[in-house]
Amino acid sequence: MSTRQAQGTTLFTALLVLVGIGVVVQLWLLGASVDAFMRHESSTAVHAAIASGIVFVINGLLVLYVFNFDRKIKQDRG
Amino acid sequence: MTDEKDRQQDDCLECKKKKDARWREDFPVAWESDNYVTRREMVKFLALGSLTIAGANAVVADLPHIVKASEMPRTRVALASSIPVGGSKLFFYPTEGDPCILVRQRDGDLVAYSQVCTHLSCAVVHNEEENALFCPCHHGYFSVDEGRPFAGPPTRPLPRIKLEQQGNEIFAVGVEIA
Repeated sequence: MSTRQAQGTTLFTALLVLVGIGVVVQLWLLGASVDAFMRHESSTAVHAAIASGIVFVINGLLVLYVFNFDRKIKQDRG
Repeated sequence: MTDEKDRQQDDCLECKKKKDARWREDFPVAWESDNYVTRREMVKFLALGSLTIAGANAVVADLPHIVKASEMPRTRVALASSIPVGGSKLFFYPTEGDPCILVRQRDGDLVAYSQVCTHLSCAVVHNEEENALFCPCHHGYFSVDEGRPFAGPPTRPLPRIKLEQQGNEIFAVGVEIA
């Protein structure tokens, strides 16, 4: 395994953990916003939705970054 | 005799193996590899999950606008002249199972709130001396002006009943949850 491939493996594992944490945070936000909705506090639900959207964007960017990294490795190898 | 029995058993095992082999030829996909999830697939799954949860969060945030309050009935509550300053009257709105309280404030304005305490659902009563709605169960106090709690265990305000006055008659037309 080349150094770059080893880097890629580490990067992929780290990304998997980060995205997983992001999803857990989003689940917590969803629970909080449902709770706020039941208490008729719409502002809390809106803030939770915005935060959840930001977490999704971060997750998406991380996934795109690592897939691009992977593609570059494949191109280098090819 | 015993040898023959053993041979028959061996033959049977051979048959079974052959049968297995035929079965495997028909279904060549191995379960292990079929159920194997790569890290790449896992990340994709998590990213899609993230999108789904973000969408669900947006829907929950927008629910109050989507699910608009159903049409509230217009119910006659009392005659305005029958309630003196500092006086109160009990009524039911929007259904016969929802007790409410109508209060004439010191400045002459009429306000109405749900009579159900937001702490543990006891019935609140008007305390004229303190100019407050008082819950006798756990000594909770709500302001008559806005229905906000200012003493005791309640933390949420009382739902306010929207009123309309036509001549001398007072009508309840909706419920406003703060």
